[in-house]
Amino acid sequence: MKARASQKLMTVGHEQLMALIDHTSAVIYMRDADGRYLLVNREYERLFKLRREDIVGLTDHDLFAEDIADDFRANDLRAFARGFPVQMEEQAPSDDGLRTYVTVKFPLTDATGRSYAVCGISTDITERKHAEEEVRRLNNELEQRVRERTAELEVSTRELDAFAYSVSHDLRAPLRSVEGFSQILIEDFGDTLAEEARQYLGRIQANVARMAQMIDDLLNLSRATRVELRREHTDITALAGEVVAELRGREPDRSPGIVIPDGLVAQGDPHLIRLVLQNLIGNAWKFTVHNPDAAIRLAHEQRDGVDVYSVQDNGAGFDMRFAHKLFDPFQRLHSATDFEGTGIGLAIVHRIVTRHGGQIRAESAPGEGATFRFSLAPAPAGWVL
Amino acid sequence: MSDGPILLVEDNPDDVLFTIRAFAKNHIRNEIVVASDGEQALRLLLPGEGQPLHPALILLDIKLPKVDGLEVLRAIRDDERTSSLPVVVLTTSSEERDIVESYRLGANSFVRKPVVFEEFVEAANVLGVYWLLVNQPAPPARNG
Repeated sequence: MKARASQKLMTVGHEQLMALIDHTSAVIYMRDADGRYLLVNREYERLFKLRREDIVGLTDHDLFAEDIADDFRANDLRAFARGFPVQMEEQAPSDDGLRTYVTVKFPLTDATGRSYAVCGISTDITERKHAEEEVRRLNNELEQRVRERTAELEVSTRELDAFAYSVSHDLRAPLRSVEGFSQILIEDFGDTLAEEARQYLGRIQANVARMAQMIDDLLNLSRATRVELRREHTDITALAGEVVAELRGREPDRSPGIVIPDGLVAQGDPHLIRLVLQNLIGNAWKFTVHNPDAAIRLAHEQRDGVDVYSVQDNGAGFDMRFAHKLFDPFQRLHSATDFEGTGIGLAIVHRIVTRHGGQIRAESAPGEGATFRFSLAPAPAGWVL
Repeated sequence: MSDGPILLVEDNPDDVLFTIRAFAKNHIRNEIVVASDGEQALRLLLPGEGQPLHPALILLDIKLPKVDGLEVLRAIRDDERTSSLPVVVLTTSSEERDIVESYRLGANSFVRKPVVFEEFVEAANVLGVYWLLVNQPAPPARNG
């Protein structure tokens, strides 16, 4: 079969080969050692509005501007000198300006191995070139824009930094004075003050303490935004243990059942993840205060290959109708008389989880406890916790 | 008990009053010398002429007019007359960079001033007991 097929191929004549080269969108031509045309295809004729019988015997210097003809000739000579196909980009004029071609040129040799002509096949890549240039231009533009935005972001981060610093310093100082002098009034003049006046002073102090807590929470929120995120091996079990120990230390008379599984780990920023646990476990601790069988459970599961952590409690819970407000700063779903708090904790948690590329979700019903699930790494597109 | 003076470097007069009161409430009777800016503190500790103050403890605020607390700390550690004095940074800030920088420059301790006065009294007690009673200070550097 094979032999017969090649036999047939051998017998393909001049006419058929001409038909073949005439029916391609490439420009095909053959020139002799002196650069005189021996043959061109139909695409060549169409492109340069010349008839093949008029071209034969002419050189590129008869047909094109000198610099272009010089280029063509130099490339022909390269193919001659090399003795094998060479590829290059060339430009040729057209009605709508210069067009770019990728050209393969190869020498034709006679029986003695002497090169007597060069064949060229040129494919128009002008559109591709334009597209490439457009892509390059857009890329440059994009990079420029990214650089500008990064610089802007750096400036605003610096400003935020300065602002937070100033808040931490300058806002707390007057609060200390209000607190301190209220206390001094009680200590030094308590005897001469009416009971009502002493109560008012107590209220001043309670509010000062609340505002101090708010400032600290706001600072934590801003810190969660501006600190550089480190990604390292983080021992969630150990961090949760520390958080629980702190809570027990602060309220030793409470002893909710707490389950922390061994060996919980994550890749993330240990300092920030500690803030997450501090807030979530702290909330669970707080909202289970009225439950005599309070239970707080930390857990881990894999959902579609994504590590999902959860903090579950059997405390007061909340109405899911307000769940969308949960992670906004200063939003509180309970009155200050039921549970104290500034409403910033979950905003901090949300910020940190988001910065890690993760998601957070809350499930609850009034009186039935709450479960907060979160991930700490980007999930596959479309994945929703 | 170290009976040298306490140098309080503090520009806020309310804080000066609270600090003096807090130490008094804890029966710490060391004289409290107040410098209300960094420059004044350095003049007391490292005077061009005359007798330098040799405090048993320096309580140093960070945010100060003219010469800030961290610069004061650097100058204290750079001069052999004062390099081993105990310096407690006592400030409103809890910014990590302030804490890191304070320790880098050789602070012995970093205490954030609590908002609640009773907590401040407690902090003053702990500081007084530790630095004036428990801690063994370096012998005064001999000059020249």
